[in-house]
Amino acid sequence: MENALLIGLSRQMVLERQMDVVANNVANVNTNGYKADSSLFQEYLKTGAHEDNFIGQDRNVSYVQDSGTYRDFSQGPLQATSNPLDLAIDGGGFLAVQTAGGERYTRDGGLQINPQGQLVTVTGDPVLGASGPIVLQPTDHDINVSPDGTVTVLEGNGRADSIRGKLRLVSFANAQKMLKEGSNLYAAGEGGAPQADTKSQLRQGFLEKSNVNSVAEMSRMIEVTRAYTQIATLLQQQSDLHKTAIAALADVPV
Amino acid sequence: MQALHTAATGMAAQELNVQVISNNIANLRTTGYKKQTASFQDLIYEHIRRVGAQSSDQGTILPVGIDIGGGVKTVGTPRSMTQGTLSQTGNDLDLAITGEGFFKIQMPDGTYQYTRDGTFQMDNQGRIVTAQGNLVQPAITVPQNASGLTVNAQGQVSVTLPGSTTSTIIGQIGLTRFINKAGLQPVGNNLFTDTPSSGPPQDGLANAEGYGSLTQGSLEQANVDVVSEMSDLIAAQRAYEMNAKVVSAADQMMQSTSALFR
Repeated sequence: MENALLIGLSRQMVLERQMDVVANNVANVNTNGYKADSSLFQEYLKTGAHEDNFIGQDRNVSYVQDSGTYRDFSQGPLQATSNPLDLAIDGGGFLAVQTAGGERYTRDGGLQINPQGQLVTVTGDPVLGASGPIVLQPTDHDINVSPDGTVTVLEGNGRADSIRGKLRLVSFANAQKMLKEGSNLYAAGEGGAPQADTKSQLRQGFLEKSNVNSVAEMSRMIEVTRAYTQIATLLQQQSDLHKTAIAALADVPV
Repeated sequence: MQALHTAATGMAAQELNVQVISNNIANLRTTGYKKQTASFQDLIYEHIRRVGAQSSDQGTILPVGIDIGGGVKTVGTPRSMTQGTLSQTGNDLDLAITGEGFFKIQMPDGTYQYTRDGTFQMDNQGRIVTAQGNLVQPAITVPQNASGLTVNAQGQVSVTLPGSTTSTIIGQIGLTRFINKAGLQPVGNNLFTDTPSSGPPQDGLANAEGYGSLTQGSLEQANVDVVSEMSDLIAAQRAYEMNAKVVSAADQMMQSTSALFR
């Protein structure tokens, strides 16, 4: 008898979670290299509560469950910044970052230099080249990053390019398995091994913006709110039904 | 409901973004100003169903998990240290740096600060000072009655002394470099101080080893691109509005729940 309430509840719970996902996407609409999340739902079939009371087969009731959030790894728009330390990845690759917790991967190419001359992310974690962090010398200037990740500079009064290293671009066979860790970082995830990515290219002087489609997120938000309110109305009606039933059936005639 | 707090982090981040952009626009005509951009990162995720977890004893694994993010945080407002364009003023003591260096300025308390603003003046003793009257390093005193002050690309200051037909070098303006000039801390008045992040100041001379050359009679304009600032401002405003909408939508959902109890 309570199935309608419980099914409604299962729907409301996943809608709340979907709303959380939408809210996180909207909050990160200006985060460089952010990849939007979407929710996946599945039907969860369960026979009715009172199947034994019927001679015929009781029909299954379907609950709803959220089975996952998947990431949209499509390319975000590139914004020209003309800052030589802003790098955008054109393609499916990631930059490798050395963090305290081990190697992590990012699409956020807004790089900085630390006092040791290393190329670091905005949180100060060194960005890895083919052989460790890229280190710039105190007299280096006019930093140039080629599409394949080679970092060249002019040193002192020199007129010829000096190579300071090559940024590592990596990709994963199944990027969905990567774990979002926050701080624009991804962990490799279960069994994921980074492979050198030769197809992706770096664009110097550009930043990859968030790939959140704000119009789609807004319409999804409205959809979620409406669905949630509808279920609330349904629950209300169900509750009214019970109320009336209790009142009417318990009305002992005098 | 998490969505409410998530959207609140988004609103706070975009508010800060608008502050940074408005500061850039306000300093559009500030000599030697370097623009800032707010940099954002996503907050940690709650992994409700871990991706790659085993879904049966046959070795099948979950292709996707449930990760719910907590919103956005501002990690920094890094400064874009690109070269600004030079505008000619024709003023003898207006100097512009093309390259990496900074002018070194001695403050009244004896400490040093650094600037890209080369709007210099002379004080009552003939010393070359900034618009606030602080000494440009190394201190150069222009003799009385000297004329034809020139500063060459190396920063050498020469004047023609009275009764002489040739010019005499009276000093050389030094420049200072930092390995990470974006790590300098702004202190207002177009001045910066060194920090552990910028690395120690390395004094040198103009035109040497990438310190940059000097141009007399010019000033370096702010490197703010007003068109991109305006489009960033619109984007920030819209992002703020969208986050506000999420707050009201989450509120509406909660209202419909609380309306159940009547």
